[in-house]
Amino acid sequence: MTLLATADTEPAPAPASGDVILSVRDLRTQFFTRDGTVRAVDGLSYDLERGETLCIVGESGCGKSVSALSVMRLIPEDAGRIVGGSVTFEGTELTDMPEHEMRRIRGNRISMIFQEPMTSLNPVFTVGEQIAESLRIHQGLGGHAAAERAVEMLSLVKIADPRRRAGEYPHQLSGGMRQRVMIAIALACNPKVLIADEPTTALDVTIQAQILNLMLELKERLGTAIVLITHDLGVVAETAQRVIVMYAGRKVEEASVEELFRHPLHPYTRGLMGSIPRRSATGRRSGVRGRLQEIPGIVPSLREEIPGCAFAPRCSFAGERCSREKPPLEPHRPAHLAACWEVARVAATPR
Amino acid sequence: MSAAPAVAETVLRVRDLKKHFPIHRGVLSRVVGHVFAVDGVSFEIRRGETLCLVGESGCGKSTVAKTVMRLQEPTAGSVELNGTDITKLDQAELRSHRRQMQIVFQDPYSSLNPRMSAGAIVSEPLTNYELASGAELEQRIAQLFERVGLRADAMAKYPHEFSGGQRQRLGIARALAVNPRLIVADEPVSALDVSVQAQVLNLLVDLQEEFQLAYLFVSHDLAVVEHIGHRIAVMYLGRIVELADNADLFGTPLHPYTEALLEAAPLPEPGLKRERIILQGDVPSPMAPPPGCHFHTRCLYAQARCKAEVPALEEVAPDHWVACHFRTKGGPFGPLTRTDG
Amino acid sequence: MAVTTEVAVPVAPRAKSGLAFWLGRNPTIVIGVAILAVLVASAFLAPWLAEDPLAFEPTNRLKRPSAEFWFGTDQFGRDVYSRVIYGTRISLAVGVSVAVLATALGLVLGIVCGYYKRVDAIVMRVMDGMMAIPSILLAIALITLMKASLTIVIIAITIPEIPRVVRLVRSVVLTVRAQPYIEAAIASGTRNLIIMVRHILPNTVAPLIVQGTYVCASAILTEAGLSFLGAGTPPEIPSWGNVISLGRSFFQISPWIIFFPGVLLAITVLAINLVGDGLRDSLDPRIARRM
Repeated sequence: MTLLATADTEPAPAPASGDVILSVRDLRTQFFTRDGTVRAVDGLSYDLERGETLCIVGESGCGKSVSALSVMRLIPEDAGRIVGGSVTFEGTELTDMPEHEMRRIRGNRISMIFQEPMTSLNPVFTVGEQIAESLRIHQGLGGHAAAERAVEMLSLVKIADPRRRAGEYPHQLSGGMRQRVMIAIALACNPKVLIADEPTTALDVTIQAQILNLMLELKERLGTAIVLITHDLGVVAETAQRVIVMYAGRKVEEASVEELFRHPLHPYTRGLMGSIPRRSATGRRSGVRGRLQEIPGIVPSLREEIPGCAFAPRCSFAGERCSREKPPLEPHRPAHLAACWEVARVAATPR
Repeated sequence: MSAAPAVAETVLRVRDLKKHFPIHRGVLSRVVGHVFAVDGVSFEIRRGETLCLVGESGCGKSTVAKTVMRLQEPTAGSVELNGTDITKLDQAELRSHRRQMQIVFQDPYSSLNPRMSAGAIVSEPLTNYELASGAELEQRIAQLFERVGLRADAMAKYPHEFSGGQRQRLGIARALAVNPRLIVADEPVSALDVSVQAQVLNLLVDLQEEFQLAYLFVSHDLAVVEHIGHRIAVMYLGRIVELADNADLFGTPLHPYTEALLEAAPLPEPGLKRERIILQGDVPSPMAPPPGCHFHTRCLYAQARCKAEVPALEEVAPDHWVACHFRTKGGPFGPLTRTDG
Repeated sequence: MAVTTEVAVPVAPRAKSGLAFWLGRNPTIVIGVAILAVLVASAFLAPWLAEDPLAFEPTNRLKRPSAEFWFGTDQFGRDVYSRVIYGTRISLAVGVSVAVLATALGLVLGIVCGYYKRVDAIVMRVMDGMMAIPSILLAIALITLMKASLTIVIIAITIPEIPRVVRLVRSVVLTVRAQPYIEAAIASGTRNLIIMVRHILPNTVAPLIVQGTYVCASAILTEAGLSFLGAGTPPEIPSWGNVISLGRSFFQISPWIIFFPGVLLAITVLAINLVGDGLRDSLDPRIARRM
């Protein structure tokens, strides 16, 4: 949208082949509150390829969920809006599309599942009706055909006894089963892109493993590309092909999952990896507990314009330049982007 | 339970603790059943030690924490704090014993009164027990603030002016104020972001070393538990299924549920596509727990006996307690035979 | 206690002073307060604004409204305007007294009920029983048992209002009680009385103020109703209900006797309700955010 090419408009990392299905360029979403403007997403760009799993990882308030809602055009109108950038899906621009056309894409070509399945399901309709509704609206199926297909979808997401479950209400199902139903609704119209916002955060670990496995299996079978939004690096490591790390509304690092975990270049990514308690940490048997690496300080307020790198106040590598100038997102290793002035020093420092 | 050499004095001894919540139905609110939230749990915590209770939602771990604090009245069993059974105390006696145990909650938002200043929140326990007043109180609070990593001039601020991590520090300062021997921490870091979580975990470890605190640490996160726990108790549907030292539990998990729980947790190491066991199905309702071993409905190794007999929690190796029919004293501790199709 | 409203404003206007800004966002309160201010002023200034409301002037019976008698006269030749102005005193006194009494008693009972389960079971059944009796019948019964006086009328109107306040306070207490900060207070050895006063009471203030305005409006109406039925304020006191009651039989020939007190009654109740609605909207953050 902006003609002025600044350091912010970053090169697309992925091969710019025809494989890109969803392309986000310099997306800016802001919320307007009495205390000022919140720059929730501040110039985010990424490409999603067909059939790919892309993880967006970051802590609360980093803009990862807002970026997903922006793609879906689900930002509540009275609270905020997309103020710049573009989102193209299969070559069509979504940001200025009329609402009635957007409705045809939402839930049909691009689907979304949320963290809390109970609040995303309507308590007064059976789950079968809720899956069938999406099919009737988007696929024009008749009542009976839609109901049959709903049962098929339930068995696709591995719900035992799907015919009986289709007639049950959300409160009769467990948390894991509700999330399966959400996946069934999301996939009912065979979407090209599935955006999953913290889909397993509210679930127990054993159930989380079931749901993640199911999502990856269905992705393989249906060829759906997935944008998985999470705060959990464990989930990232087990599901992602490519990873975007976000901090304070911006992308600070992007690489393939192996590359990112092997050679994290941004100090924030390193800090995140260091601060998760690691299973099989050393020194346990001697009774000495290792200290976790902390990221000191707190996430900055997004209400003020941050002149330099948003992470600088918490960064041990930060130099004088970091608080003055925004670091550009540049490739520092093959297919590995990072936005940091001190990449060379960071890379040379052992973790 | 454990007759381990008295390395340090026992601060908390819980025996056969039960908490059953009655379910009322109908106009006359007749009791039609019970939720067996905690169904016979025993453990001990020594001075300076962290015992972690780990399990999935609904396993009763938080109820244990609340019942130990007597924020909920136990249905049966005893809770001995420094040798006194607090389940038998009346309200006034209980109040004086409460000084020795404090609690840190999961939610750093709702656990602080939004209408009270940070200083007032931390000073409340001190004034309750008339431990300090006036300038001394002021000084003590400033010390506490500093100790948990908050600036003393933040005293006049209100909770909403703090970040999640800072609020949790406030909660810890409040718990610390009366110099307790035991701190019950009910999922204290699960509402926090990972970077902040590390700050709070480090703080808890430092405080433990400084004041020789005993922690009853409730969590669902195995990585956190492995980091902070000296001993770990794994709970499933109101019962402890395995209790062992940190290294033993994570090194040689003996209960099939522990094994599955460890397998299920995603590790932050890509490419480590393990051939892992994924438990099928959901946790059964604690209103109607399955007979016999509660875990048999999801267990890969279950046999006829598991459906009929409740396995007792037994010490199969030194300080390693397991409730499973296939684990008996002395081993063998190798892989079990799968019975599923 | 400072009332902060979390209002999402798209573009922050020029910084205004807090109160002016707040009032600007709540026009209903401004209108209500303005009307009430006039009413209160006329109640206080009645001796200067009006003549003796009890003065008989048999020659001036049933006079139409005129420059001399603004609201006309009644069948005894008393000035309706003076009676109505003095009646403002009675109505406001009844409304305010009942509101204060009912909220105060309801607050205490509600907090205790919400906090102690055993007390709750007993007190709430009594409250349910009281709510089952129409409040005007309960008031009539109480008044007939005792000698009619303004105090008795206030008490008789207060009692049936209490259950509603208790229910409201109790529901707030039950929600607050479930908050972890109450458990934290218990765990750190706070005594029950202090928990109720320091941790629970402040949460009930906002809904109570709102409820208090509704109680006030409803009490004014009930007093007028009771007086109209002849079971309320003693007839020698010029309350609006009494004025209307006396004018009833001459309604066909001199409607002004009941018209003016009726209109004032309606305006008063409307003004109080406007204030109540405005306070409800601005004190409840869920509604305030949507505005």
